Amino acid sequence: MNQEELNNKLSEIKDKLIAVEQPADSRIYLTCEAENSYAVNKFLFEDVPLRFVIATGIDSDDCFEILYHYAYDETGCMVTLKAFIRDRENPAIESIAPFMPAAEWIEREIHDILGIEFKNHPDMRRLILADDWPEGIYPLRKDAKKPVKRPDGEVCSRPIVQSQSPARRTVELSKPVVAVGPFHPLQEEMEFFQLTVDGEIVTDIDMRISYNHRGIEKISESLQFDQVPFLVSRICGICSASHPLAYVQAVEDIAGVQPPERALYVRTIINELERIHSHVLWVGLAGHFIGYDTVFMWAWKYREPVLDLLEEITGNRNNYGNVKVGGCREDIPDELTPKILKELDKIEKKMEMLTKAVLDDPILHARLKGVGILTREAAVDYAVTGPTARGSDVGIDVRRDDPYAAYGALDWNVITQTEGDVFAKAVVRLLETFESIKIVRQALKNLPDGPVTTEVKEIPPGEAVGHAEAPRGETFHYVRSDGGNRPVRHKVRAPSYVNVPSFRASCIGQHIADVTITLAAVDPCYSCTERLAVVDQHKNVIHDYDTLLRLSREKTARIKKEMGAPELKMEDL
Amino acid sequence: MSWKIWSLKKSPWVFHVNAGACNNCDIEIVNLLTPKFDVERLGIKLVGSPRHADALLVTGVGTRQAVPRLKEVYRQTAKPCVVFLVGACSCGTGIFHEGYHVEGPVDKIIREEDPNAIIAYVPGCPPKPEAMISGIVKALSAL
Ligand code: SF4
Repeated sequence: MNQEELNNKLSEIKDKLIAVEQPADSRIYLTCEAENSYAVNKFLFEDVPLRFVIATGIDSDDCFEILYHYAYDETGCMVTLKAFIRDRENPAIESIAPFMPAAEWIEREIHDILGIEFKNHPDMRRLILADDWPEGIYPLRKDAKKPVKRPDGEVCSRPIVQSQSPARRTVELSKPVVAVGPFHPLQEEMEFFQLTVDGEIVTDIDMRISYNHRGIEKISESLQFDQVPFLVSRICGICSASHPLAYVQAVEDIAGVQPPERALYVRTIINELERIHSHVLWVGLAGHFIGYDTVFMWAWKYREPVLDLLEEITGNRNNYGNVKVGGCREDIPDELTPKILKELDKIEKKMEMLTKAVLDDPILHARLKGVGILTREAAVDYAVTGPTARGSDVGIDVRRDDPYAAYGALDWNVITQTEGDVFAKAVVRLLETFESIKIVRQALKNLPDGPVTTEVKEIPPGEAVGHAEAPRGETFHYVRSDGGNRPVRHKVRAPSYVNVPSFRASCIGQHIADVTITLAAVDPCYSCTERLAVVDQHKNVIHDYDTLLRLSREKTARIKKEMGAPELKMEDL
Repeated sequence: MSWKIWSLKKSPWVFHVNAGACNNCDIEIVNLLTPKFDVERLGIKLVGSPRHADALLVTGVGTRQAVPRLKEVYRQTAKPCVVFLVGACSCGTGIFHEGYHVEGPVDKIIREEDPNAIIAYVPGCPPKPEAMISGIVKALSAL
């Protein structure tokens, strides 16, 4: 479908809508009442079909609004459906999770932060707020107060993972869950996973997040438009170029500002350098998970020069703080170009060797092929993005579909693989690194002259969405302005938010020895497996994270022995 | 110098706790292990359990959900130990100061648990790996 056909298709559902607005070709806003939202969503997701991005809940004085954001990747069009909930006392709306697993988390989250009930939601447990957060205080309501501290002397409450799914109900949870293993030195963030296994096979997986929830969306409402990029770059240290870029693009859309050409190129370069160091980092960690620690050390060593370049350009190894509404803060000095090119040559050589070593290694083939498969259908249902989607033959990439910065003017390819297993995702990341190197080279060559910033006087009332392709997938930001100097609502969706729930599709039925690498294959801000418990349905054996890592590594060793193959030749690197 | 302190200063083993960080400080901590910085050559080692650790490297603001676990980890750490607060977040909640889910700063939380805790601050957002190494060396020399 082209854009016109999409518009025609959307008009089929007109009678259920209050209004249709199209401020730009690729931005469509539909409005409806809460009663109709289920039908319209079903139409958008199943009949058009659009890719679900995220939903935003907004407390706007006289009513609640739920915004469902969709993307049509063929034309790069973003469709937003606004549903009004008029009843402020008992706000409720029909859940769309029954036909769209991708919406399950966000509806739980909106329930947590705004207190909206989602009727017929399959699993309405708490998601984003702490276990001891008092019921009935909804932090994103405009009149919310910070709840009082927990009472003195309270003991450490463990995450209580209860579940409705029959597989889990048979398991005696109270004791095992307490025995969750320690933090692991190579894992960063805290998330809690619970796997249910039958013998060696995983039968269910459950997750608890919240440990890292800092309430950024609310903090953003207290910062000025110009301060927000510093905040959003700290959502995730390793996507610290793409988050602010997505935000800034949304605000520029509201203000109708076009940043100067040179700024677009500088943004491109910084974002691609970030992708390079992020993908290399992932390769290292994946190596670690399957027992190739040499790969880990070398990959992280190759990553360092990229960080040094970024430090030279922006003044910081991460959290660059370079992008701002209307352009960039720092320019790339021309003297630096030869140095960047030289470093890129070096990195390219190393990556070539590393890629060849990985692709030619029979043990890695045996270890990673057919493991943790995310089928194309599951990838669409869970609406995953980035390398996770591209490894499952869903060829979406914001850089090409809805070109921003300078990507539209450069020559590069979207890498896809069809198998959907861990190996496919690894290949996507490895090959993408070369595309990124290509992009940076071209951008440096074509870097236009001129300033890198324009003046922005004020941000008028309005709303807009912005998105960018982060190393892990699409980051999405929605910003609403009332004409003041702060956003009245700012919604952020990081790529892991949709990629992580897809574990349910890729882990169930797997061997537990394959779980760590399957989880890591999504590159979940490479964080998620830290607190992890395995409950055996019959034996009630508890494995912690270290056990899983050991199992994973032993399997590699076993395959190695069976195949009698020589070890990956790291001395070449 | 008591023998306990003397043994603490030699070859400090550290345990890394994320109490709600942006991941950046954490990546830089892992970076300490890798060839460019390679802290193991200084006898500093990241360990997998607080019970084996001489020092805690704490990053992050201390979110409501993380605080009880952070206290638990501190209780489990063999004393005496040094708590290193790595990054603006753990030193003083940094840019997330206003957040509704933030209970930090971390030094206050640790002091609630143990008023005499030895706490060292490594500011920065994120602090460079060199700064972390220097922070560790300075704190241990001051003991
Ligand atoms: S101090 Fe800065 S880099 Fe470190 S966790 Fe906090 S926001 Fe991230």
